This record gives sequence, C-alpha cells and structure tokens, in this order.
Amino acid sequence: MADLYDEMRNSVLEGDEELAIELAEKVLTEKGNAMMAMNEGFLNGIQEAGRLFEDGEYFLPDLIFAADALKSALRVLDSELKKNEGESVKSKKIVLATVQGDIHDIGKTIVGTMMTANGYEVHDLGADVKNEEIIRAVKEIKPEIVGLSALLTTTMEEQKNIITMLEEEGIRNTVKVIVGGAPVNQNWADKIKADGYSDNAISAVKLADELTA
Amino acid sequence: MKMNAYALSDEEIRIIHNDSLQILEEVGVRIPVEKALELLEAGGAKIDWEKKNVSIPREMVAKALDITPKEFTLGARNPEFDFAMPSSYTAFTLDGAGANVIDYRTGKRREAVLQDVADAARVFEEVELGKVLWSPVVPYDVPGGPCGILNTATSFMNSSKHVQDEVKTLDEVQYVIEIAKAILGSEEEVIKRKIYSATYCTVAPLCHDEEMLEATMELTKYKAPVLILPMPACGSTGPASLYSNIAVANAEALSAITVFQLMTPGTPLIFGAALGIINMRNGIFLEGAMETALQLSAMGQMGKYYGMPTIIAGCLTDAKELGMQADIEKVMTCLPLVLGGVDAVNGAGLIESSMTMSFEQMLIDGEIGLMCNRMSAGIEVSDEKNFFMDIKEVGPGGHFLKRKNTRTAVRSSEFFTPELANRSTYSEWLKLGSPSMFSEAHKKVEKILSGELKNPLSPSTEKVIKEIMEEAKAKLR
Ligand code: B12
Repeated sequence: MADLYDEMRNSVLEGDEELAIELAEKVLTEKGNAMMAMNEGFLNGIQEAGRLFEDGEYFLPDLIFAADALKSALRVLDSELKKNEGESVKSKKIVLATVQGDIHDIGKTIVGTMMTANGYEVHDLGADVKNEEIIRAVKEIKPEIVGLSALLTTTMEEQKNIITMLEEEGIRNTVKVIVGGAPVNQNWADKIKADGYSDNAISAVKLADELTA
Repeated sequence: MKMNAYALSDEEIRIIHNDSLQILEEVGVRIPVEKALELLEAGGAKIDWEKKNVSIPREMVAKALDITPKEFTLGARNPEFDFAMPSSYTAFTLDGAGANVIDYRTGKRREAVLQDVADAARVFEEVELGKVLWSPVVPYDVPGGPCGILNTATSFMNSSKHVQDEVKTLDEVQYVIEIAKAILGSEEEVIKRKIYSATYCTVAPLCHDEEMLEATMELTKYKAPVLILPMPACGSTGPASLYSNIAVANAEALSAITVFQLMTPGTPLIFGAALGIINMRNGIFLEGAMETALQLSAMGQMGKYYGMPTIIAGCLTDAKELGMQADIEKVMTCLPLVLGGVDAVNGAGLIESSMTMSFEQMLIDGEIGLMCNRMSAGIEVSDEKNFFMDIKEVGPGGHFLKRKNTRTAVRSSEFFTPELANRSTYSEWLKLGSPSMFSEAHKKVEKILSGELKNPLSPSTEKVIKEIMEEAKAKLR
C-alpha cells in the first residue's frame, strides 16, 4: 500500500492530473480506503508542493498543476469521502470572488491556488461576480471564509457593500471576510470592518489559518 | 545618423504580423457587444453568437488598417502644446491610474486624493516633453461613479495640455464631450481639435470588455483618438514566450482596430502596448523587467509597420521607493523605445508597477526622456559639423576654446544640458548644499505648486465645468 500512496503523492507533486484521476479511480474499483488515500497519498503531495514553493524551488505554474491534480482526485473520491464524513477529512471552505464591475482575476486565482495547496476547499466564483451571487454562495456553501478581490479603486466599494449585505442578511458573524487587491490596504479593511487583509497569496493563507484556528 | 535600436528584424515583424492574423482567424476574439458583432458579421467575419467569439479574416484586418489615419494631431487647450504624430522626437505621457502618492511634503506614501490629480497636472504642465496628460491616480476621496469625469475635468482645469483618460461606461461619453465643448465652444471644434483622447485596454487573452468597448465605440463618433492598449502578461494572461505574447498582444490590437474602423471609418487610432512578464513566484505584473522592455520595443515596431502613431508604455519600474532601482529600470525601459522612434512613451511619474505617483519622479523622468532623446538624435556627420579648418588652424597641441565654432556649438542643440543632474566640481557641489537629482526635483515641485496656476481656464468656462462635475456627482453611480 505504501507504494500506492507514494504514487498518489507524486501524481499531485508532479501535477499529473491524469495519473491522479487514474489512481483515485483505482481506489473506488478496488474498494480501497478513500480517506486513507487522501490523507496518506494525495494530500501529502500538495503539502510537499507547498514546501517546495516556500523553498523557492517550485513556481506558480508548478503549484497550479499540483492543485489541479489534487482537485481532480478529490472530485473522483468526493462521494466516497462524504459517506464516512465525520472527523478527519473535513476541510475548511472558502468562497472567493473578484467583485462586480471588476474583471481582474489573476490575483484572486493565485490566492485560490495557494488556499487549495494548503488544504482549503476553494469555491472560486470567478470575476465580475454580482454581490447577490456572493451572498447566495455564502448561504449555500456556508464557508468559513469569504475572500473578496478588487483591483480598482472604484470597485473596492463593493467589498464594503457585500459586508453590509451580509449584515442585513444576518449572516455576517457566520463567516470571516478577507479582502485584497492592488488598491486595497489595511486601512480600508479596518474601515469596512473586514476580518483581514493581505497583499499576497502566501500571507492570505496564514491569515485564513489564523482566522479559522 | 540617428541612433537606433530595434528588437525585431523586418522579417520577424512580418512573421509576427502573420501569426496575429492566424490567431484572429483560427482562435478569434471574444467581443461581448452586439453592435460590434453585427458590424463584424456584415463585414464578413464569422461569429459564434453564443460564445460571442469572432473569427476575423485577414482581408478585414487589411481593410481596417488601410483606412486608419497615418497622421493627426492631439490638440491641446493651449495650441502651443499641440502634439502632431508621427513626431520627430519622443514625447511623454503622464502614466495612468495608480492608487497612491508619495506626498512631496512628507515623503511618505499615502492614498491618493483628487487634489493630487490637480497638483500632478500643474507639475506636468512644466515637463518639457510632456504632451499627453493621463489622470495619474484614481483618488480614494471621491465615489466610483463620477470618479472618471471628476479626474478628466480636474486635469483640464489644471493643465492646458492634451488630456487622455478612459471612458468606462456609455454615460461617461456625454460628460466628456460636454467638458470639451465647454472649452472649445462647439461640437465641430471638439471633432476638429481633438483635445481629449481615450485609452482602450483589451482584455487579455483575446477578449474585449463589454462596457468599455461600448463606451469607446460611442466616443469614436466624435473622432476622439483612441489609444489601443493590449497588455497580456507572459505566462499568466498570455503565452510564456516573448515572441508569442507579442503575437497575442498584436492580435488584440488588430481586433480593436478592426472594430473601431467598422464603427467609424477613418477614426484616428493610436497603436499602444503595455504588455509584460510576471514574477513566477507571486504572479505580480512586472513593468521594469528587461523582457517587458523588449516586448514593448517590439510592439512599437509593429505599430510603425502599420504606419500608425505609436504611444508605448515605458519608463517604468517595479521599485517601491524612489532611488536606484527606480531610475535604472526607468532608463532601461525608456531608452529602447526612444531609440526605436515611438511617438510617445507612457510611464512618467509613477513607480511601484504604476501603482504610486511621485511628483519628483515625474520631473526626473522628464529629464530621463530628454537624455534619451539626445541619445536618439545621434551624431551629425555633415559638412556643417566638419571642423577640419579648426583642427588645421589649432594644429597639434593648443586648444579649441577660442574658436568661433566652439562658441556657437556651446549654444547648439548638439550639446544637451541637464537641469537636475549635477555637473559641478566637488567644492561647487558642496557649496550648493550637496544637491541630488531628487532634491533639485523636489525644489522645483515646491516652486511650481506654490506659484500661480499657469494657463488657467477662463472663469466662465471653469464655472461650466464645475457644474458638469456637480451633475456627474449627482447622476453617475
Ligand atoms: C493585468 C491587468 C489588467 C488585465 C487583467 C487581466 C485578467 N484576466 O485579470 C486587463 C487588461 C483586463 C486590465 C483591465 C483594466 N485595468 Co488593469 N491591471 C492589470 C495589472 C497590470 C496587473 C494585475 C495583475 O494581474 N496582477 C498580478 C496579481 C498576482 O496581483 P494582484 O492582483 O494584486 O493580487 C495579489 C494581491 O493583491 C493579493 N490579492 C488579490 N486579491 C486578493 C483577495 C484576497 C481575499 C486576498 C486576501 C488577497 C488578494 O494576492 C494576490 C497574489 O499575490 C494592474 C497593475 C498592477 N500593478 O497591479 C492593472 C490595474 C489594476 N488596472 C487598472 C485599470 C485602471 C484597468 C482598466 C480600467 C483599464 C486600464 N486603463 O488599464 C481595466 C478595468 C476593467 C475592469 N472593469 O475591471 C489600474 C487600477 C487603478 C486603480 N487604482 O483603480 C491598475 C492598477 C493599472 C494602472 N496603474 O493603471 N487590467
């Protein structure tokens, strides 16, 4: 079994999506333990990828390949994992979006990748996402965190509006709101009573970790 | 001859041109504006209406390029500052749309406010090469809706140079035209004098933004020049080779040219570019990189190949503070463009990947521009400059200080004298208070901003513009 787990780990580390899917499907057909495959195999791979990234050996594309391989394996094992849902594999959820009127999506995507690489279940709603849609997602997905990206001084306002909407819906205290994007700063985050701000993806993960600890 | 620098050979220019045409035909572009799609379809393009994807055949591109004006003048409120393109020298555009300012009073970085837009315009008025004023920051102290109009109005009130900004929504177009009309008197004059132009960013890779395209198409009805600004980043929003990223940027530009020429045949367009590379560790868009400079230089050549006026991003830096990194990167991203003969370089005044404005930097960039232009002007090998007689008469030994030719040469354009860089002896320099380029620039900023407003609008025009600003505040959300 150890070899198989190593293979799983490596499929993620190398970002080999096809292999990751194949190995995950094998777990299903051979009635293996999905939870163990996740924890001992695939997740080890993403953790190693994260470590290599911090050491400066991995670059963004490496990480994106790894994160996507992990997500594919997860998708295959999803229903099986949910069956014995309980303790160990329950990952924290984050809803991410670039706010309405704003089409910049690279920064938000990178934050999402880094979150995935650190074990978060990321729901990326995309760019130019209507405020109502974000509220709906918070209600449906019930994430621990919602992350809002705004790259224009003129769209930062939406971060504030969304927080107000969360308050009006009475769900503000069910979720931590973190904000980012080039013109956003700590000052603004404080002003709109967001729970956190970060100007890069790595500290965004640390921030999320702290807020959900 | 003039001193030249090129990133691409003639052959490579043709190759990239063909690559771009292939991209437009086989991959296409996404254009989410019905009016544009109808025009394209009528012109012979194949449309996937569901995806709003358009394949543009090369004949259509050729036709559009054919009717794109080769020359026109960006008018200024003060005709002394009119800027005719193609230009024999390389002018400067004030860089656009940062968020912060390094306050010249405190030296500290802070959020930008509308007053900074006004002050920037006043400083830019005194930059010799500065011909095009793009609102350099998006102020935090005004609401988003009217922000663009307030910026444009403030620029016109504080500078008499050509103003360039962007129209983000259809609503904004009427306000911009009203402002120009208030200054020039009539719509005919607005169309003729062209004191306002707009930047238009395509959305990499290979997309157009719905609202921005709609608005900019509307603006062409007034023959306002449009600066087409593709900005794919190698490896994130564009392919990961400089060559292919240029081909994508060029394809985006050609698609925009085609749409605008279908909308308003013969409308004046400027070939622009702001492509770059990214930091593969954090995704940050890198403006001061040599690979960015190479791509921009290549895009300048593409624009010239199409015979269009060119305004290309340059004089850029990723430095977070004023100083060595900023100045080195700015020179390195400016010189090749000037040596390539682009009409204007867009980048003066901002640092931190165009996020933060500094007035002192704006003046230093002005001097970098003058230095680069001097370099580009090259060495004149002509009968007039052949001073063989001086050489003969002075002979071996002796000196040339007392030659008539020397006396005239001192005042000729062959020798450029910088304003901010110091050329004294050490003790002279000490006596001056050990000035640096920065301290000299700072002094000049203080002088400009404590002085009278130059070239103000007439009180009656100013009143009308202020009313337009109030209306924008009330109506634009
Ligand atoms: C690439 C780019 C574009 C591309 C976007 C392509 C795409 N698919 O995303 C295109 C060409 C489409 C574009 C369009 C426009 N852009 Co633009 N764009 C940029 C540019 C150069 C880089 C953005 C980027 O990708 N950065 C790389 C990523 C990795 O960095 P990041 O987004 O900052 O994200 C990091 C952090 O901020 C943080 N973060 C980000 N989001 C979040 C969220 C959370 C929750 C957290 C915790 C952290 C976090 O982590 C990220 C990773 O480290 C910036 C300039 C700049 N220096 O930022 C301008 C910039 C943002 N654009 C600007 C403008 C004005 C526009 C336009 C209006 C047109 C124009 N004139 O350029 C249009 C807007 C259209 C619209 N309605 O949105 C201005 C904004 C000015 C302002 N103060 O408002 C900027 C600053 C450029 C400038 N100086 O003029 N743009």
